[in-house]
Amino acid sequence: MVYALRRAAGRLRAGGKLISIRPHLTRRPTVAILAGERRLPVATLLETNFERNLDAAESALRRVVDEGPFKPAGLRSAQFRTYLERPSQMRTYLELIYPPRPRFPPGGRARLYEMWDAAPRGARIEVTESLILNALRRR
Amino acid sequence: MASEISAYPKEGVELRLIERFVSLRRKRVLEVGCGDGRLTFQYAPIASSVLAIDPDRLSIDEAAAEQHRRRIANIDFQVGSIERLAARGAPFDVALFSWSL
Repeated sequence: MVYALRRAAGRLRAGGKLISIRPHLTRRPTVAILAGERRLPVATLLETNFERNLDAAESALRRVVDEGPFKPAGLRSAQFRTYLERPSQMRTYLELIYPPRPRFPPGGRARLYEMWDAAPRGARIEVTESLILNALRRR
Repeated sequence: MASEISAYPKEGVELRLIERFVSLRRKRVLEVGCGDGRLTFQYAPIASSVLAIDPDRLSIDEAAAEQHRRRIANIDFQVGSIERLAARGAPFDVALFSWSL
């Protein structure tokens, strides 16, 4: 990752910006059922390898700042939500994420199905994810 | 129905965040890990030029087909990685790592 950032530095003009958008390191994806006005938490998704990659990305960004080609130009985080009509779409959703993908903790998927079966007609599944954006300026 | 599901933010969300730090209007943009061009097609109409790279050939083929369908001329989709990108060529104004670092 550091090498990729160094190569990017070599292709940017002085004053140019590098923008990195990636999943938030500590705010893990969450799954909930929306039933009318109620939001029923189901599970927080996890993936150790995924988090290891995010750690490495953070380190790489810090390193190219320490090494000198970039200086920090901003940081912002945001949440985004996806709505699914039924539990079977959860698998499709997760498969759309480039691996290593987050996954349900043990018992999490079963809990989703149990809660879904008990939910009233018209309920939806809400997946909330968080992203972080780093901006670096080429010196 | 499955094709309507996306694991990424809705169109415009990432662009609004990016534009808090840099406008892409009339900029030369290098996008690393462009995938099927999902984000590329959102900003290419305002950029000056875009070099969008991804190591996955299938994704680049999809992106190129969509580019042809949309008749957008200022994107150069290439199979590859930044590590192997030729060092020559005009410098870019913006390097974008979208979900790829």
